[in-house]
Amino acid sequence: MKNGYYQTKIRGIYKYISDNLYLNRPDVEIKGEHFNSTLLFSLLTGINRGKELIIGEPGLGKTTSAEYVGSILYRYPLGVIWGSEVSGHPEQTEEKIIGRPHLGELNKGKERVVWSNFAQIPVKIVDEINRLPETKQSMILNGVDRGNWEYLNEILINDEYSLFATANYQDRGTNTIIAPLIDRFDVLIESRHPGSNIAYIIGKEASSNHPLRHPQYEKELHQILRGDKPYEEKMTLAEGVCNLFGDYLKEHLGLEGLNKDERNNVNEEMVEIDFDLDTNAFVRMALAELSFCHKYGQKRSVEVCEEGCHYTGYLCHHIKNCASNRLPISIRNYAQALAWFLEDDGVDIEHVRLIIPHVLAHRIQWKDSYLSKKEGEGRNDPFQIYLAKEATEEIFQRYNEQREYLLDALSVGYRAFAGEEVTPLEGDHPIYEEIKKDIGVKDEKPL
Amino acid sequence: MKNPFEAFHQAGVRKREIPLDKILKSKEETLSTILKGYEDLLKNEAKDLVWLMQYSTVIKAYSIAEKGIEGIEYTAEDIEEFCYALDHSDQIPYLITGPAGVYISALCNHAKEEEIYLHLRDLTVKINLLGYRLPTDKKLIVEGNVGDFTGIGLDGGEFIIEGSGKNYTGAGMKRGRIIVRHNLGFNTGHGMTGGELIVGGRIKGLGKIVGGKIYERDQLIFPHEGIKPFSF
Repeated sequence: MKNGYYQTKIRGIYKYISDNLYLNRPDVEIKGEHFNSTLLFSLLTGINRGKELIIGEPGLGKTTSAEYVGSILYRYPLGVIWGSEVSGHPEQTEEKIIGRPHLGELNKGKERVVWSNFAQIPVKIVDEINRLPETKQSMILNGVDRGNWEYLNEILINDEYSLFATANYQDRGTNTIIAPLIDRFDVLIESRHPGSNIAYIIGKEASSNHPLRHPQYEKELHQILRGDKPYEEKMTLAEGVCNLFGDYLKEHLGLEGLNKDERNNVNEEMVEIDFDLDTNAFVRMALAELSFCHKYGQKRSVEVCEEGCHYTGYLCHHIKNCASNRLPISIRNYAQALAWFLEDDGVDIEHVRLIIPHVLAHRIQWKDSYLSKKEGEGRNDPFQIYLAKEATEEIFQRYNEQREYLLDALSVGYRAFAGEEVTPLEGDHPIYEEIKKDIGVKDEKPL
Repeated sequence: MKNPFEAFHQAGVRKREIPLDKILKSKEETLSTILKGYEDLLKNEAKDLVWLMQYSTVIKAYSIAEKGIEGIEYTAEDIEEFCYALDHSDQIPYLITGPAGVYISALCNHAKEEEIYLHLRDLTVKINLLGYRLPTDKKLIVEGNVGDFTGIGLDGGEFIIEGSGKNYTGAGMKRGRIIVRHNLGFNTGHGMTGGELIVGGRIKGLGKIVGGKIYERDQLIFPHEGIKPFSF
């Protein structure tokens, strides 16, 4: 472990939450360090302004873990976070989630929007998102994706935000999360049971005053958010109160969150971290398996490839849908955030091997035959994450077998693309077909 | 459009050295040092391409072999590699099974490992003199058939041959144990003074035995009841 200025702060947050607020077992290991995946991914979500979907049984800390991370990292008192959360339920409305007309102004014949706290603050938590009916899920698509919130003729654009959504496992009150919404989440993570021994001590030292609450600053922030000032001005004022709350956290709990400039600096540092060549090629290989179809040119959820294809052994044969362009973005952002957090010089394969299962798990639609084949296998993770982990390791194994050859093939691809007369390398993996398509060797199949 | 393979501009020429490359390289270096020691032995002992099996010759060859391998860092796997190099490589000017066996014995006797396993089943020649002077606390297991004078002068070690041997196996052995899964030739145990020679198959003939025990197919065939061992 090195001692980067910001990284030390983030590690301090991780330690404080894992020691005091979200007690759970470390369940992932990277570079010799052990972390709890829920906390680690929530922190990565916070620092890279990502979108995280947390699943798990009721009462296992899905929402609270996100609240703690959001509160400390962005230095918003817990009361403001609570007051800005959106609950998923069938009666939820656009007016409660995004904003409502200013009734006083409306009486005067003027249209003005009173934005919800949820739309305004950078820490956004949607509790039990899969209790929102499918028709109402569409209301938050744009906001989730870009931070653009529209109501009447007004628009509010968040220049920074992180989104945490929780979802229970399927029961009578839940709905399916629609494909466009689920794809907008960068990562899927499970908040697991901590085990009987840790569970026993949870709540033992409960006190009436939550250490992350501060009624005075909460009141001030609520006033600012309710006010009539322009959004940018409100955010500047809110940042001032957040700074005071940050000082309070430092003084009383020894915790240091990040102010807005620091969060921007962290982001600038993260995007500077490059993928090494191996990781670059490995991710391309993974994307090829998740988007390629020998018969139909690319994966499409409405076209199912048949048995007997040459690529039967690859992931493309087991999945129904095609990887979206958000997938590589999620991989890049989270792998960079992880490398930054661990203070590594670049993103390597270890980083992406940890990240990929969580960016894939909710996005892949597996074929029923594959699900039936795999569902009986023993595992520690929820089925979706288990399958994604298995898939990642399969691709990694194939990558190890073909590494040198694939790098050569990509190098030849570079030369061919640059106009040199070279013969592309043939290989037994969809990636070689994709390279040929890119350099124009393989003609598209005639219609 | 931007070249999507930009990052791989140098990939084809910029080969990464993986740990396996380093291991292979170091293995090659070790093998060539071992081969050099063997060539030195041959230069000293077989200048005229004739090698006579005399006990004094073996002792001399062994001391030269010991000097040849001094300071070489090797493992049991390297010994096996050397055996195959003897059989296949064009680096070896000539394979004379006597000096080869003495040299391999020296390698085994001075190896770091207590147990050495040599897979020699695929060798086209049968190496003589394997297991020469195998000391106490060493266990040598050879998979495949071996030549003449195997395990001679065995000095307390355990030598298991998963195959057959030829003549003079265990000759002059002092202590320890030789186990042969299949058959042995003539003069087995000639001049042995102690230890055990256990043969799973048949023995064509015994030599003049001084002491120790020889078993053939679970039967103690030396010493016989009523037959006293030789005593000088």
